Amino acid sequence: MLVDYLGRLERHRHDRRAVHVHISLLHPNNRKDHHMRIAVGAFDNLIKMLNAQLFCLTSKDMIVVYRAQVQADMEAAIVKIKYLFADDDLLMDENTAGSFCDWYSLDREFDQLMTLAQRLSQEEEARQRKQRIQDARVGIGPAPKGKPFTPELLARTENALSQADIANLMRRQPICAVVDNGPPQPIFHEIFISISDLRETLMPSVNMASSPWLFQQLTETLDRRVLSLLNRHDDRTLEGDISINLNVATLLSEEFLIFDDNIKTSKRGTIVLELQKVDIFADLSSYLFARDFAHERGYRICIDGLSYSMLSFVDRERLGADLIKLVWDNNLSVETQSRPESLRRAGVTRIILCRCDTESSIDFGRSLGISLYQGRHIDATFQDIRRRGTAARARGKRK
Amino acid sequence: MTFCMEIQPERQLPETVLVETAERVGRIRDGRVVVQIHLSRLQPQNRDDGHVRIAARLFETMVDAYHGQMFVLSNADIVLLCKDARIADLDAVVYKLRALFSKDPLTFSGDTEDDRFASYFDLESEYDDFLELCKRMNAEAKERVKSDRAKPKINDLDAVSLGRVIERIAQTDIASVVRRQPCVYINDRRIAEVVFQEFYMSIADLQKALAPDVNILANRWLFQHLSQALDVSVMTALRKADFKVPPVAFSLNLNMTSVETPQFRDFVGAARGKSGVYVEFQLPDILNNMDQFFRIRDELRGKQISTVLDGLTSLMLQFVDAELYDTDFVKVNWSNDMITDIQTAELQQALGPVGFDRVILARCDNEKAISWGLDRGIRLYQGRFLDSMVAAVTMAKCPNAAPCTFAQCTQRHAVISGRPRAECGNNEKLDEFPPLHAIG
Repeated sequence: MLVDYLGRLERHRHDRRAVHVHISLLHPNNRKDHHMRIAVGAFDNLIKMLNAQLFCLTSKDMIVVYRAQVQADMEAAIVKIKYLFADDDLLMDENTAGSFCDWYSLDREFDQLMTLAQRLSQEEEARQRKQRIQDARVGIGPAPKGKPFTPELLARTENALSQADIANLMRRQPICAVVDNGPPQPIFHEIFISISDLRETLMPSVNMASSPWLFQQLTETLDRRVLSLLNRHDDRTLEGDISINLNVATLLSEEFLIFDDNIKTSKRGTIVLELQKVDIFADLSSYLFARDFAHERGYRICIDGLSYSMLSFVDRERLGADLIKLVWDNNLSVETQSRPESLRRAGVTRIILCRCDTESSIDFGRSLGISLYQGRHIDATFQDIRRRGTAARARGKRK
Repeated sequence: MTFCMEIQPERQLPETVLVETAERVGRIRDGRVVVQIHLSRLQPQNRDDGHVRIAARLFETMVDAYHGQMFVLSNADIVLLCKDARIADLDAVVYKLRALFSKDPLTFSGDTEDDRFASYFDLESEYDDFLELCKRMNAEAKERVKSDRAKPKINDLDAVSLGRVIERIAQTDIASVVRRQPCVYINDRRIAEVVFQEFYMSIADLQKALAPDVNILANRWLFQHLSQALDVSVMTALRKADFKVPPVAFSLNLNMTSVETPQFRDFVGAARGKSGVYVEFQLPDILNNMDQFFRIRDELRGKQISTVLDGLTSLMLQFVDAELYDTDFVKVNWSNDMITDIQTAELQQALGPVGFDRVILARCDNEKAISWGLDRGIRLYQGRFLDSMVAAVTMAKCPNAAPCTFAQCTQRHAVISGRPRAECGNNEKLDEFPPLHAIG
């Protein structure tokens, strides 16, 4: 994630800095949960105003990437953290105290930080891959718990979103074609705001599923903000073929017309608009209107987030959508019987299997003849290949 | 290209700019034609800002070739003035817009003489008529602006006001906005008996009572969240209602989550032995969590509570296989265009797998709806036509009917509390809902 984030910041590096706080160098007794909570809390305000982005590594190290203009606040936060750990041998000894933090200016030291991030990422991926396989075997999923999602929290979140620069929270994830045993080939990238990151940043321990309608409203607000961001920035996010999440109402809004204006006619055919099933059926005639308009302009429509059992309830062909996203979960195992009618109707070539977190999701997809995939396992495989390619090229250069 | 969308008080109305343009063009009428797209005549839900914006955009890109001037009027009509364009060419372009709005009855009904979607003017011969029309539209637009300014400002429901509105529920007399409407079963002898009374809220009255300064319908998702809180209040209000004759059955429109509240359990418990219970679910709510829906449906069935898939229209049935949800009943809203051969055939196909005996035909405003339904084998009906019959039959049998008007009786049937009910001289008769004879 840090790698991805840094990659996106490449064009903004002149006003960005970073600090790597080596909590892992402290004595184990000083790295307990409550210590970590307080340490993280030191950056709270900066994060909430979206002036800083915090990455907590499993080693307990923290990397904070922040805007240069909040340098003073960052230094103050580090002072607070050092004070918290003042008793630790590392900080008590003048000779070692300096190694607690490494400061980077992205302007000058971008590559160093990127290399570090990639190394950390590799290590983390290997660990996570093992963990995910274990979890899938045991059937562990996230347990819904936490504080209720209230209108007040929604209001606060919408306010934060309207005031701050949300570029920090934007993500890109590739949708790849995987054919036979070949490597994943990216076809297009989904651009989205990570809702779990948003939750972690602005309202941790809130269970958003407790209020599905407020959640819908939040996604609608997010969609508008993403669109508005894409309309303002001429950045890497618009490069290549992309998909974006939209509510029907957003598709009919002024903001979308601006987006439409900015896209060259030739490019529209490569852009996918992802709509949610609840939104579609909440106002079917508006959906049909919006769909016809989108098709007239050359966009493709994808119905997002369908579970396997829902395929028979939401008919892609009748609804006139071009693609659907089928959500994988570990209860789905390899199909040995012939393809069910619902899958045939949807059209196997028009299905993107998403949330592919493990190898078995690919096996499942393959058994059905699906060729488009999206998910963390794909990301990892893809990163792997890229890295090997980079390393091979580097070796080639050295010869 | 002139393109006026929003009306700002400081700027001129697009209608005014159109009049000025029309006057200028008076001296150079040769080869000029005008097309007016009457979006203002579409049904309100088909012509909100988003729809008009899109239509204008499509029209604009398509007529760039005619070097014309386009106006989006304050009533949503689009007017295009152009030179040396053949009406046939313009018609082809208008056809695309017609197709976009094809779901609205305005676009394809009637013949070309009677086309209410688009009008054409050849300025060489019809200039005077056109100029007069522009002046008239300008005057009407100015009137609208004046009366809009006089209206009190209402803000749209947002996350901030939602919290406040929810808090206000406790201090609001929710019972006063609850309404009821009977659903009847018409048997072979054409006698209609009430099988349940559906209880719902009058949104207009709710708005006035709960949040007169907030447009609670402005935001679909937030309103849905609000409805979860309101579900609970309605159930509480119904338990406290003083029905002289308990309903044969209650039918409630509920969010799925509301079925798992203690208030629902209490409501069902209180009704047991006296009245049946039906629960009506909306499709978007179901689609939000289908596993939950199936579980709830089965649990309700286990308690002899019937489920209804609500809110289907002939349009939705083209995209939804209602039988897959396997609810006890499926409620379809009647609209007059269902009587056409095409729609009848489509609905026959769509509802066949459900079983017409499980269909409730709602919004039956006239007798046509009932006779159409009976021809299909539908037995269950709701709507204003039946409400009128209930009032008529009640008054015919009521010893205290002399001072009442038919309209009053109809209105009093529909409420569960308050003055209209108090003014009724015979609440027993009011709550009776007797069988109706010779229907259809």
